[in-house]
This record gives sequence, structure tokens and C-alpha cells, in this order.
Amino acid sequence: MSKAFAFINDKRVRDVFYQAALLIGLAALLVYFIRNASQNMVQAGIASGFNFLWRTSGIEVPFVLTGYTQSDNILSLFWAGVANTLLVTVIALVLSTALGFLIGIARLSSIWLVQAIAGAYVEFVRNIPLLFFVLFWYFGVIAALPAPRESLSVFGVAFLNNRGLTIPLPDAGANLKYAFIAIAISCLLHWLFLRWARRRKEATGRDAPILRVGLVLLLLIPVLALTWASLATRWDIPVLRGFNYRGGFVVIPEFVALLAALVTYTAGFIAEIVRGGIQSVPHGQIEASSALGLRPGQTLRLVTIPQALRVMTPPMTNQYLNVLKNSSFGAAIAYPDVVSLFMGSALTNTGQAIEIIAMTLALYLVIGLAVSAFMNWYNARIALVTR
Amino acid sequence: MKTFVLAAALFAAGTLAASAQQLAPSPTLDAIKARGHLECGVHLGLPGFSFANDKGEWTGLDVDYCRALAAAVLGDATKVKYTPTSVQQRWPILQSGQVDVLSRNSTITFSRNATLGLNFQGINFYEGQTFIVRKKANVKSAEELDGASVCVAAGSTEEKNAADWFRERNLKVTITNFQKNDDAITAYDSGRCDAYTAGVGALAGQRAKLKVPDDHIILTKPISNDPQGPVTRYGDERWQLIVRWVLNGTIAAEMLGVTSKNVDEMKANSKNTEVRRLLGAEGGFGAMMGLADDWMYKAIKQVGNYGESYERTVGLESPLKLERGQNQLWTKGGLIFTPPFQ
Repeated sequence: MSKAFAFINDKRVRDVFYQAALLIGLAALLVYFIRNASQNMVQAGIASGFNFLWRTSGIEVPFVLTGYTQSDNILSLFWAGVANTLLVTVIALVLSTALGFLIGIARLSSIWLVQAIAGAYVEFVRNIPLLFFVLFWYFGVIAALPAPRESLSVFGVAFLNNRGLTIPLPDAGANLKYAFIAIAISCLLHWLFLRWARRRKEATGRDAPILRVGLVLLLLIPVLALTWASLATRWDIPVLRGFNYRGGFVVIPEFVALLAALVTYTAGFIAEIVRGGIQSVPHGQIEASSALGLRPGQTLRLVTIPQALRVMTPPMTNQYLNVLKNSSFGAAIAYPDVVSLFMGSALTNTGQAIEIIAMTLALYLVIGLAVSAFMNWYNARIALVTR
Repeated sequence: MKTFVLAAALFAAGTLAASAQQLAPSPTLDAIKARGHLECGVHLGLPGFSFANDKGEWTGLDVDYCRALAAAVLGDATKVKYTPTSVQQRWPILQSGQVDVLSRNSTITFSRNATLGLNFQGINFYEGQTFIVRKKANVKSAEELDGASVCVAAGSTEEKNAADWFRERNLKVTITNFQKNDDAITAYDSGRCDAYTAGVGALAGQRAKLKVPDDHIILTKPISNDPQGPVTRYGDERWQLIVRWVLNGTIAAEMLGVTSKNVDEMKANSKNTEVRRLLGAEGGFGAMMGLADDWMYKAIKQVGNYGESYERTVGLESPLKLERGQNQLWTKGGLIFTPPFQ
């Protein structure tokens, strides 16, 4: 073989070549599928393209965070659905993590009864399909709430019935806005204070009054700000008129049922991850910390959990992504998430299945990748740092 | 030169004669004949329109249309395979060719016709949207629903109709959209909603699914007009012709007084030329579409005319007890009409 072609024998050149060939092949296949689908759709008289997004949607949504109304376009309907998906996902993530930690730690309790109950919960939850949870909470628990006229009243300002929880809404939000700004500033101050305290401790070894400052910045200031704001604001208090309470904001039962289902279900899996993580910490660490005179609570907080987190983070990422994907089970009980509104109502109204499903897939992919990226960053941050 | 012109003329005449015998190709009809049964898309379960009993036997007005079509095409009304479809599944299942025809109380609308690649082949039921409410709510008309919650199937015409109707009247109504009709009914029954909305005919059948049907009333005044009928996808004109004229044939039979009981006698003795053309005694109408000449004879003999079908499935002989109303023949004050068999 002539020297001009000697590069063929270079492993790096060949690797690049094979990978490039595979990539081009995949891209060509994708282009072929898209072209084929659009040609077939034109022939069958089915509309294609994304112009439908600017058509008026005409669909009424019972639970809106984005200010969407039925005279807005279909793209706004999509964002209304996205907001609802994100809302239920984020709240479910926080609550299921908290509940999962509690159950996971309870499984390792030295008290037999606590351990047995936690163990039974995990086994029960892991072996039942999520759809059952969703339907159970919706048709079993929420539907058993009283009708609007027999509502359960919470101090005469909030009302719970089978149409949801009606809560008062501030009429003019200016004062509340100042309160939230004040809370944000005090959170920022707290963070800066913690950084300063840590640096000082590393440098001089002196402790700062973390607890007292924390109480003031994170509890006292927010409570004062909110109390001032709510006294200075006019509230739109729900009143019973006709079929149901008027005014205020309604937290719909579909949201509560889906949230409860996601939290109770996911907590079972998170509990197992927590238990596994804690058990992965060598027993010698715990013995060493008690030899140093740390109390059991301190051992758990300062020795066990920081080391367990390293083991727990990758599987927790999986669970968090599952919560995001499982939120689509809301479609089974008419929770207006992106699947129910966009892949349900909008798809059947416009018939543009390919575009709508592609957009929904892309959305889940983007949110999922964002969650993974955050968890990877966190994982890298808590990884064992050797100095 | 002369011989060339003569040859060309002969050739043209020959092709013309040949093409007069030839029918436009119909892949759908060929496929049905080859597989030996008709594929018909129907509702998941709507008493009176398409409903399967515990033995898996389908009955209803929309099912009867499928049976008449199978009788006309294959000579046997039982050669139908029913595919139950939800609100969301119905269009893709037709567009993708999984069913030959969709007969599933679906409203004919402009945008469905223009953008979904669907053709509507006539009207077999004039539906009007209304509400079912609890008797103890003491509601007499839809205008009194201000402040109420309404359950509805997502993606249906009712979902948009209701939203528009209440907004135009400045009534604040919460609409909760379920993926399936049955889920919406269950939620209404469990107290989640004050009303459930669907067509008058659909509600008459669905009412039976409630725990205590007598505790509920159907509001009489409809808020919209929803004509419904068999649907085909774009393309295959000859198949669309068959779907359209089998429906017309069942209506024509009622107008001409042909029933499943007297069809033999009418075919043999009727002097009315339209009856004779309809039943294949003269005119050769079946052959023009590539069917047997007794296509409508078979359909009427096995399934009955439109009126017989109506009374048996949704009318006074059925549990739904719906009056003919708008669904009476145009000659008797209704809207049901067919162009002539000429």
C-alpha cells in the first residue's frame, strides 16, 4: 500500500471515521423518516407544521398559574400545562424526599415497631402500580370529602370540599410583594452569614452564633413581614353562593390527589435509597464518632448522612426523573398537566399528533436533562474532597 | 394520412369503450373483499349507539350502520370487526387505515373536514349538546349553571362548545376535562361536578351508568347542534361513494316504505321505479360501484331501514326512549334527507 494511504492504519483516524459514518447514517435515517411522514400526511390531507400553535385554543382550564384564558392561543395552553406539570413535580420532589428520609431512617430504628411499620410501608408501596395510588387518592379519599354546602371550614376563611380547597387570595399584591422581597433579602443575608462563619471557623476555629442568627433571619423576619403584609392587604375571602364558594383561589382536588399519590409512592423508593446509603457507611465511622463523644443525633447529621449522600445521589436522580415522568399520570384524573391539556385536548382538537407529541417529548427531555445536570453538579460538589 | 386518422379514431373509440366498463380502483373495497370482513371504528361503549353486551355482541344505531355496510359490500351483516375507540383514538385509527370506516357519534365540523384528512359521508343522527344535573340542584336550564363545575370529555366538541357558550353569557363555570367519557361520568356521579355535558342522545344512554339514574335529569334545551354520521379518510373515491350511498339507501328505504319485513315482496312486485333501482331489480346501480346489484336489498333485509334501526336502538322500542324529533324524515317534519336514487 502506498504511503499516501498510510493514515488508514491510524487507529485514531479510523475511530473518527466510524463514528462520523454512524452519525451521518443516523441523521440520514431521521431526515428520511421526517420527509416520509410529511409526504404521507400531505397525501392524506392531514395538516402539518406548527402554525396551529397560534390558533385560538377555546379550551377552558380549571387550574391556571400562567394567566391563560380560553381565548388565548394553543401555545399559551401548552405553557399553562407546563406550569402545572412543573408545580406538581417540584412540590412532590420536596415532600417525597422529606417523607422518604423519615421512612428510610425509621427502617434503621432500634425500636422494633417503628422499623416494622417503615419496612411494611416500603414493601407495600413498591409492589403496587402508581395508577392505583392515583385512583385511590382521587376516587377513594378526595371524593369522600363533603359537598360544597357541608364544607369543612378553616377559621372561616378557607374551605375544603369535594371541589377542592378554596383559599383567600390577596386583592392587591403590592404589600405582599415587599414582604417577599424582604424575605428574599434575609435569605441572602443568611447565606452570606453562613459563608462568613465557615470561613472564619476554618481560619480561626471560632464558632459563630449560627442558631440565633438563623432564627432571626429565617423565621422572625419572614413571619413579621408576612404578618405586616397580610394585615395591610385586602383579602378576597371566599363566600358560598349558588353551587360553590366564589372568590379566592381554588386548589383543585385533582392536584391534591396527584400530589398525594406521587409523594406516598415515591417516598417508598426514596426510603430504600436512604437506608442503602446509610448502611453503606462503614460501622467504624459511627463507633469512632461516639468514641469522640458525639450524640447519636449528631453522628447521624455530621458523620453518617454526609457520607451516605455520596452513595444516594445517583439513584436519587433516577427517582427525581421518575417523579417528573410520573406526573403525567395526572391525565388519568383530569389534572390539567401538559399531557392532559396538550396531548389530550389540543391534540384531538387539531389532530396534529406528530408535532404535539414531538413537542411534549422535547419538553420532558429538556426538563429531565436540567434535573440530571443539577444532580450531577450536586454529586460532584459532595464527592469526597481530599486535601 | 387517412388511414392514420382512421386508426387513431378506432383506437380512441376502443379505449373509451373499455374505460366505460372499468371502475376507478378502490384499494379499500379490494382489501375488505380479500379479508372477508369490514373493519369498523365505534365508540368505547355508548348505549343506544355502540355498545357490546356481555357476550360481546355489538348493538346500536352506529353499529347498525356498520352492519348495513357489511351486508351491502359482503352480503352478510355479521361480517364486521368492531374497534372501540376513545375520543382521542378515533381519528388516528381511521387516518392510519386500521379501520375502513368510523361510525362513532362524532360531530361533523369544518376544521375536522379541512385539516384532519377526513370526509363526512352524511348524517345518521342530529345530536344536540345538553347537561345532566342532579334533581335536588333544582336547575331548569343551562343558564342557571353559573358558578357550577362541569365534567366533560377532553377533545370533544362539547368541551369547546360549553366553554364558548358560558363565556358568551358571562357565566363563570369550571370545566374539568377527563380523557374518557366514562371517567367524566364517574367523577360527576361521585360529586366532583354539578353537571356532566354531552349530547342528548348520548346522555340518554349514559344516564343508565349512574348509581341512581332517577336522581338526575337531562336539561331539555340543547345549547348546540351536532350532526353526526359515518366518516372516511381522504382518497379512494369509490369507497367513499359506497359509504355515502349505503347510508342514503337506508334512509331512502324508509321514505319509500321498504322494511326488512316487506323487502322481498317489494322487490318482486313494486311498480315504483325508485324502489326497483334501490333493491337492484333494475338499473344495475350496485355494479356502478363494484358491488352486487342487490346490495341495498341485502342491507335492508338483514338490518332494516333507517327508521327501523332508529326505533330499535335509540327510539321508543329501546330503553333510551328518544322521540324521532329532528331525526324524523324531512317529509314528516324532521331533518333526515337523502338525494334520489336516480
